[in-house]
Amino acid sequence: MAEYTVLSGNLEFLCLGEILQLLGNNGSSGILRLKSEYKNEPGLIYFKDGDPVSASCGMEKGIGVLYSFFGWTEGDFTFSGEEITDENMINKNRMQLILDGLRMLDDGEIEKIGPVSFEKGSESNSPKKAFLPIIRGPLVDYLYVVEEEDFLAGEKIVEQGKHGGWLWIILEGEVDIFKETESGTIKLLRLGEGAFIGSVASFLFQGNMRSASCYAAGNVHLGVLDIQRLSTEFTRFSPEFREVILSLDRRLKQVSDRSIEVLMGENKIDDYIKDKELVIRQNDMTNRASTITKGEACVVRHTPKGDVPLAILREGDFFGPLPFIKIGHEPYDASVYVSSDLESEPIDHIKLEKEYRHATVTFRNVISNVANGVSVTSMLAGIYLTETDAVNF
Amino acid sequence: MAIFNLQKREIECKVVYYGPGRCGKTTNLEYIFKAYKKQIAGEMVSINTEGDRTLFFDFLPMGLGKIRGCDVRVQLYTVPGQVQYSSTRKLVLKGVDGLVFVADSLEIRREKNMLSLKDLQRNLKEYGLSIFKVPLVMQFNKRDLAEQGIPLMSVDQMERDLNRQLKVPTYTGSALKGAGVGDTLKECLKLTLKNLQKELKWSS
Repeated sequence: MAEYTVLSGNLEFLCLGEILQLLGNNGSSGILRLKSEYKNEPGLIYFKDGDPVSASCGMEKGIGVLYSFFGWTEGDFTFSGEEITDENMINKNRMQLILDGLRMLDDGEIEKIGPVSFEKGSESNSPKKAFLPIIRGPLVDYLYVVEEEDFLAGEKIVEQGKHGGWLWIILEGEVDIFKETESGTIKLLRLGEGAFIGSVASFLFQGNMRSASCYAAGNVHLGVLDIQRLSTEFTRFSPEFREVILSLDRRLKQVSDRSIEVLMGENKIDDYIKDKELVIRQNDMTNRASTITKGEACVVRHTPKGDVPLAILREGDFFGPLPFIKIGHEPYDASVYVSSDLESEPIDHIKLEKEYRHATVTFRNVISNVANGVSVTSMLAGIYLTETDAVNF
Repeated sequence: MAIFNLQKREIECKVVYYGPGRCGKTTNLEYIFKAYKKQIAGEMVSINTEGDRTLFFDFLPMGLGKIRGCDVRVQLYTVPGQVQYSSTRKLVLKGVDGLVFVADSLEIRREKNMLSLKDLQRNLKEYGLSIFKVPLVMQFNKRDLAEQGIPLMSVDQMERDLNRQLKVPTYTGSALKGAGVGDTLKECLKLTLKNLQKELKWSS
């Protein structure tokens, strides 16, 4: 098939709307194939003389499928020039399709296929309360799955505070993450297919305390990951890289603890930044990342509604941007304040990035899953700032 | 950036109508669609976006002649102003060749105009464009409402509010009746093509 490919690229660079315009201007006939890490089946759009005439994904066909492709904002596309003899299923103006598709995407009528999505709550019309983020991951590499397990809807999979070293990947279904607090249980977010349950600290071969509880949101099918294999890979990384991964995991715990505080109406921002000095200002450009060797730092997000503390960083933690880990914190979306006794060492992020690129796909997925968790939970903290109405379990 | 279609020997450029909600962007385009029927290729696409409709159609300007043997085809768009329509805005504003900013003359819309213009500047910046460099024409719309005794801002005041720094050509208009609509578009097309020639170093 490859010899027919006349155009290929990345959907993040060129979105579907732009590809449709390009093929339209060119009057091309053939098949556009879309591939997303988050979908089992490729998406196909058939073109006759520049106009899309039909679309399919797996068994589904028609204009609705074509519109759903506007939600595939990440992935690859290839176009192969071919004679299309199929019947026309779509007879709409090309520009109408594009503008309608984008409108539906912006109006939330089309699901965005990617690592994070939001479920609208049915019980409330308030958009804030309705936010239940769902984190997904790319499709799993079965080489790493040693066993499969099923849980029924509502069944407890992990209990906060208990020790456990297993790491699961969700193969089918969804799982809710809850945080137990003194004043009740709070639903934080939901994990979907491809997301991991468990902590990177499992690689350390020592007792690891679960930081949250998780329950099956419906019937779920989980894969138990080969922790031995992942741990072996982990130990082969440089000490700096291992430190960054563990620090990222600690940051996730910090962010969820801070969000819960904000939700409980205990925003301790003033205590956290007391006697600390601003070193990275939100929105400022910096590419310097460092590891803390002494002292304390606090990551703070400034929002129109006020400041939200996101994480307290201590010895061994990194701060500053690491381009291969997208956590949505400093410098673009958060500031960093440091204590007066802070000492730090610069991080060679180019070396780390190289190491990251050489890691196995599964390991990279684990890391990006933690990073997505950090970024989504931070967003929740901002929402909680104005929303003290917890979603109680 | 205009698209050169070598197969059809056509230069396709993009002109976008921008402005606060209900300022008359769509009325402008609807009038053009009706009044210049002969110069329209294909149908008008209308999308119901919240607050304002998003319109699109192809326009073949007459009297501008060919550029280097190529016909000129203009895509006319309105763009939804609401924050949520970022994907649509991105597609529409990316590679825009010319802009018409439609301002509402109603006194009570003074602030809305200024906010929308700021917004346009920010959006353009996001796509690597400067509001000071993109061909831009302004229209002070709804002048006819003065007859009904509705308080309007004076043209001088609007110039001060919106055009002090930009210093772009401005037109008064009553899009509902068609006044000023053609002139605004013509001036914008003129600037757009001039700019294209300059960018391509074709200036004669």
